[in-house]
Amino acid sequence: MTRSMKGLVKALALGLAAACSLAAVSGATAEELSLKGKRIGVSAIGTDHYWDLMAFKGIQDRVKELGGEVIALDAGRKDQQQIAQLQTLIAQKPDAIIEQLGNLEVLNPWLQKIRDAGIPLFTVDTATPHAINNTTSNNYNIGAEIALQMVADMGGKGNVLVFNGFYSVPVCKIRYDQLKYVLTSFPNVKIVEPELRDVIPNTVQSAYSNVTDMLTKSPEKGSIGAVWACWDVPQIGATQAVEAAGRNEVKTYGIDGSPEVIKMVMDPKSSAGAVAAQQPYEIGKTSVDNVAKYLAGQKVPPFTFVPAVLINKENAAEKGKPFLEAAEKAGVK
Amino acid sequence: MSATVLHAEVGVSDEKQAAAKSAGRRFGALVVRLGAIAAFAAIMAYFVIFAPGFTSTFNLINVVEQSAILGVLAYGMTAVIIGGGSDVTEGGIDLSIAANMGLCAAVYATLLSMGYGDFLSVLAAVAVGMAVGALNALAVVGLGILPLLATLAVLNVAAGMELTLTQNTVVGASSPLLGVLVSGSSLGISALAWALIVFSAIMIVLVHGTSFGLRLYAVGGHPEAARAAGIGVPFYVSFTYMLSGFCAAVASILTVSRLSASTPGSGELLLSVLAAALLGTVFSRRFVPTMGGTLLSVLFIGLLANGFQLLNVSSYWVNGVQGALILLVVAITSFARGSEGSR
Repeated sequence: MTRSMKGLVKALALGLAAACSLAAVSGATAEELSLKGKRIGVSAIGTDHYWDLMAFKGIQDRVKELGGEVIALDAGRKDQQQIAQLQTLIAQKPDAIIEQLGNLEVLNPWLQKIRDAGIPLFTVDTATPHAINNTTSNNYNIGAEIALQMVADMGGKGNVLVFNGFYSVPVCKIRYDQLKYVLTSFPNVKIVEPELRDVIPNTVQSAYSNVTDMLTKSPEKGSIGAVWACWDVPQIGATQAVEAAGRNEVKTYGIDGSPEVIKMVMDPKSSAGAVAAQQPYEIGKTSVDNVAKYLAGQKVPPFTFVPAVLINKENAAEKGKPFLEAAEKAGVK
Repeated sequence: MSATVLHAEVGVSDEKQAAAKSAGRRFGALVVRLGAIAAFAAIMAYFVIFAPGFTSTFNLINVVEQSAILGVLAYGMTAVIIGGGSDVTEGGIDLSIAANMGLCAAVYATLLSMGYGDFLSVLAAVAVGMAVGALNALAVVGLGILPLLATLAVLNVAAGMELTLTQNTVVGASSPLLGVLVSGSSLGISALAWALIVFSAIMIVLVHGTSFGLRLYAVGGHPEAARAAGIGVPFYVSFTYMLSGFCAAVASILTVSRLSASTPGSGELLLSVLAAALLGTVFSRRFVPTMGGTLLSVLFIGLLANGFQLLNVSSYWVNGVQGALILLVVAITSFARGSEGSR
């Protein structure tokens, strides 16, 4: 490293430290946030998965902490119900609405109606032009990191089974597109066509049988190198299938960081290769802070990223622990 | 006492007893029916007083809109129950109706996204819906399979075909017809709400205002008597399954308009559809399904979810309370019908 570069690094580090202290300052003002006398509507497509439940809980807890009233709506994975709930919610005229996940194609016209009704709209993990702010993980990063980890573990060559059933969910689109982008640099890593479809419900069972079928179809060891999914519930089924078939050369990759999957990655014998662990509870809370700031007249950026951590075989013991502790603290699973 | 004497004695007292019994039964049924209706009214009154914004025109039109899809499906189910008889195990029932709607929606959305126009796509959806209905009719009327089992099998066929077609994905769709359904309105009432109003009027007139409807009730209530009177029972029963398929197709177009897409998971609606058709019987004097009763119970189910949300009762309670109410009403209904049956 040349001297000037060292200087540059130093300057960057200093800048970073300054940014951190700045973040600490803004953290202090965050404590003065209030939602007293405000009603906040929260609509989630479903809460049957760890991530969804944690984020939903984080939103509700934070609204109550800040003294607001929360109208919490869980659509139970039914699009019809979510639309009906949003329609009634618009009529209720809350001070703001937070929308968490769902099919963007279905939601967008209704998110537009929320804005038309003059209600500030915030989203969790849902990138849409209608939202004032989307609080989420940096899915561009997550998508690239998990793809790179997979390519590295595969030694830069081999075939990948990819679950691509939820391209209509924005975060899955980003992660999938990032995977494809990373693979453009590694032409020897190939996605097996046709791609697999992950489903809800019965995600684990369906992923298990899909992967089992594919392994049966390609019986020679090494013909499949990895399984990728844009979230980690299919990864559970995939990992179980790989282990049941005795094909330990296949590693699985996913995103979210459900406690179950983190434990799998921590287990050196498990075929779970890596998982990008997000902080859904923090994401939910941060979204509410953004609402409070906005309602207090402060400026809010179009998106807020809450850090995620790539947990792989090497760092699992150390990096996985805080996530398991957070899950325990929130009393989920 | 010899058997003949006993027989004669029973014969003499039979008419008196029957008259007294039927009067008592009628009174009991009336009490049960009015009790159920009073319970509905009490819940509504509670919402009117305590749920903020419940009675606003905007909110009520919202509920009508939200009920349109369920309503159209429930009419199909009601027609099948009327024509097949309301015996829960052996009578008419169409378990495939919600899955059929999912399939029709998938066909409609897929054809639209492939660039076929509204006319052809709607036609195809209706054809598919009625073909599934014809399959039900073939299984029930032609092969004599219990409707409960026949339509359960067809449910799986329809759900499987939908999955094959869409690969379990969301198929986005837009068209002029969908545009009208989404944003059109007339006299302050949205197009979707109009769809329910018009469809309700047609169904009520068809079933309760024509001799065709009268014969349909005869077929369901007393198939032997209907046959003896020269009514073509198989035709009427087949017709109800085809009508149910048609309703599924109409509902599928409403669904695609509301969700701007066909989405997986339509089958989930089945329970609400059944609930609406069964709950509706309390609005009839003889505990039989009627189109008007079905409309009232569809609106009741919609108002229930709406009222809970306005009261800020956790959405988790909605399903539970809805289920409990259904159980209650079905229980008293079958109790009342049971006493009627054991004459």
